Amino acid sequence: MTNYLLHILIVCEIIIPFALGLQLEIGETGLYNFGHVAFFGISAYASALLTTHGIPFMGALFASLALAGLFAWGVGYPILRLRGDYFGLAMLGFAEIMRKIFLNESWLTRGPMGIPGIPRPSFFGVPIHTLPRFAIFYGLFVIAAAFAVYHVTRSPLGRVFHAIRDDEYSASAVGKDTFRFRRTSLLMGTLLAALGGVFWAHYITFISPSDFTLNETILALLIVVIGGRWGMAGTILATFFVIGFQEGLRFLPLPESFGRLIAPMQQMFFGLVLVLIVLKREKSWFHKGDRLAQG
Amino acid sequence: MSLFLQSLLDGLIAGSIYALFAVGLTLIYGTLHFINFAHGELIMAGAYFAYLFMMPPLHLSPFISGGCAIVGVVCLALLMDRSVFSPLRNANSLLLLIASLGISLFFQNLAQVIWGAEIRTFPFPLERGISLGPVVITPVQAWILIIAAGAIFLLYLFLKFTRAGKAIRSVSDNPRLAKTFGVETERVIRFVWIVAASLAAVGGVLYAADTNLEPHMGTINLVRAFAAVLLGGVGNVWGALIGGIVIGLSENLGVLILPIGYKDAIAFCVIILLLLFRPEGILGVRWGVR
Amino acid sequence: MKKIIVFVAIVVSAVLFLAQAGMSSGTIKIGAVQPLSGNLAVYGQGFKMAIDLAVDEINANGGIKGKKLEVIYEDGKGTAKDSVAAVRKLIDVDKVPVILGPAASTNFLAVAPICERAHVVLIGAESASPAITKAGDYIFRVFPSDKLQGKGVADLVIKLGYKKVPVLYINNDWGKGLKDEFVKNFTKKGGKILSEIPYDQGKTDYRAQLLKIKQLHPKAAVALVYVKDGAVIFKQAYELGIQTQWITGSAAKSGKLIKLAGKAVEGLIGTYPNFSTTSPQYKHFVALWKKKYGDKKIGIFAEYNYDMVHLVAKAIAKGGTTPDGIRKALYEVSKGYKGVTGDKTFDANGDVGSAYGVWMVKDGKIVTRK
Repeated sequence: MTNYLLHILIVCEIIIPFALGLQLEIGETGLYNFGHVAFFGISAYASALLTTHGIPFMGALFASLALAGLFAWGVGYPILRLRGDYFGLAMLGFAEIMRKIFLNESWLTRGPMGIPGIPRPSFFGVPIHTLPRFAIFYGLFVIAAAFAVYHVTRSPLGRVFHAIRDDEYSASAVGKDTFRFRRTSLLMGTLLAALGGVFWAHYITFISPSDFTLNETILALLIVVIGGRWGMAGTILATFFVIGFQEGLRFLPLPESFGRLIAPMQQMFFGLVLVLIVLKREKSWFHKGDRLAQG
Repeated sequence: MSLFLQSLLDGLIAGSIYALFAVGLTLIYGTLHFINFAHGELIMAGAYFAYLFMMPPLHLSPFISGGCAIVGVVCLALLMDRSVFSPLRNANSLLLLIASLGISLFFQNLAQVIWGAEIRTFPFPLERGISLGPVVITPVQAWILIIAAGAIFLLYLFLKFTRAGKAIRSVSDNPRLAKTFGVETERVIRFVWIVAASLAAVGGVLYAADTNLEPHMGTINLVRAFAAVLLGGVGNVWGALIGGIVIGLSENLGVLILPIGYKDAIAFCVIILLLLFRPEGILGVRWGVR
Repeated sequence: MKKIIVFVAIVVSAVLFLAQAGMSSGTIKIGAVQPLSGNLAVYGQGFKMAIDLAVDEINANGGIKGKKLEVIYEDGKGTAKDSVAAVRKLIDVDKVPVILGPAASTNFLAVAPICERAHVVLIGAESASPAITKAGDYIFRVFPSDKLQGKGVADLVIKLGYKKVPVLYINNDWGKGLKDEFVKNFTKKGGKILSEIPYDQGKTDYRAQLLKIKQLHPKAAVALVYVKDGAVIFKQAYELGIQTQWITGSAAKSGKLIKLAGKAVEGLIGTYPNFSTTSPQYKHFVALWKKKYGDKKIGIFAEYNYDMVHLVAKAIAKGGTTPDGIRKALYEVSKGYKGVTGDKTFDANGDVGSAYGVWMVKDGKIVTRK
């Protein structure tokens, strides 16, 4: 049982950077990135491929982050020129195209078969192979990432992000190169997502294209929508809440015939929560006058 | 050569179905100004409602089942609007997008709870296609072309000659102006939902007849429809129609060059390219019908 | 004094007796990951029935050294991701020493490294990919590798007199592994592959692939498919007017295929791992099945699942309930073991051998063909 709680903790530690990245983009800068999962996937694949070909974990980690960042930089250049929902949809398209590449370029990714047997990480010779070690190792990274995000949001950079979120035109009117700041935000969000992706690959030890669908982006979106209002702490708490709910369902003593209904019913519930929160917060949420806007 | 002609025909058939999806989506976008992610689920619902009526115990004929499916989907769309979109009338389009994403997730999985994740098929008899020279068309596909063309013709008559149709066009053109001229916006919005849902239902049934049914069939069709909307220019009904056919053709002809696995990515590529280079659409004039 | 001794003796023996009773009322738990929902659920329910059949038989005959055998089922949903999660739960929470592996080679291969690393025995009854042979020391299967079946399909195509065929295959470990073995053997025998066309599982439309085949006008075409996508493929091929002799493997050999695709699969020919249906073991199995499930049709690969559970039970009886004990014992108890599906002797890689037969669809029924 302790093991299973540890498992849930570790999954949370994987999802927290992923969700924090989206929070930075949506909550702080107003970039509705519906293709967030693409970067999670790119780094997961990169790290899986590098380590299965003998590159040590830490090297693969940094190479994968760099690669995801490079993709964000390249894709951001054209797509960041789009606003609002168009930006979101174009990123969604990008994510789906990436997934098709994972699926079809079998010579590289093994296609739908996925990559099994991804090695466990090791940290300068210390193997990370037990659940407590995973929890501590990933936990340290998560704390560092959260610390970084906290500082960014309180920094002058963070205030520019908020200004862009609240009113891009006035932000550019006071002489801010909004494109560059939006790109910085996308890049930071991407690096966080990429960290989660690497964690995912090396913890689960198996990845396949079906792990990187719109559903994962929706999961992060749900977390941000639930917790984003209270900033970073809210996002982290919301992650524990959502993941705990999701993983905990396995433990309910449900009859077997009911088993196949769990996953879709859980997704139905998530959908409902998204709708209800939007309905409830219609006035105050992610607009001017949000608590964060003054921060 | 026969492969090319066959792909052309298949593209046309698929495209005529996508056109029905795209018109509904563009009407919603034109009047309510948000991308309705749940449009895909209206399509899916149309197919499953028809399936429900065609299978035992009801065993109705395909045409009656299709009619029932239209009624069902219209009710569903009005319910969505009343419960979610109507309270959000003046909200940011991104909030509406997220809400519709939530609705989409909800209904997609509801369908999976009810019907399971596996592929299902309409109980049509299995028939050899009819050879027309180098190409083959199945009787079902022939029906699809006829029905899709009929639906488009009815839409044309509706928009061109009825009061409601004209009102829809004026609201989509300029909601504030239309209001000052005494057009009742809420009524028009209801009409738009009815038209969009009917077209989604018809298209969904046709799509399922041409291929098969599965709970997630809505999402990819939403993407195709959205690509068609962008091709035609947002809010442009006839642009969306032509856009749908172009998407159908480019998917089916595209796989002659690209690996087959990338077929579903073609619509996404079209979306990205259009957004980058011609966000106003290719087909110029807003609102073809004047 | 005597009284005290008697008293102590009674207490001690009572305690011992109770402990014994307590232990024998205890159960030996093993895990099973099967696709109880999702795309492969058609198969999963059948596997479960076969496993339950064997478990009931073992428990009715006194269990394993007096303890009852119990199977903890987890739903792998037919996907690698969910199979991995299910195996993790079985290892971490239930701490089972043996897992009856998930169906479909892709899923089996995804969980194999986890079991290998956790030193938990993984045994499969329906995964055929050649890659499984080298998956690890703790990995076994009672189903023959496709190395054998790939050769079987190639022999069949040659025997039927076809020299040039396209091959359509499902893009996963099973399909690719079988396709590679088929192509290797077929070209070695002088055959020519016209085209290799992969397809993805679970799609609603395969006409793009079929048009490519139609274009080639082949006399025969090899389609390495499962039941559900096979049904869609053969139906759409029929509608497109493709007239060719379809040849397939064992995974589509199911009455469900005929129910779904009807006359579109009439004349379909395939190979399948063969075993004697006249052996006493087989007759015993059929009688047992009839008794428990009545007239319900025996599911695909049910015989393999049944053999698998019996082998595992024997191994537990011999090697104890530790994974290492079971692993060692599996080699020993399988030596010369004649199950329903024939000789189940594991080689050093945990693989078994098999004979192959030919089946075809005739008048809407599956018949064996000489």
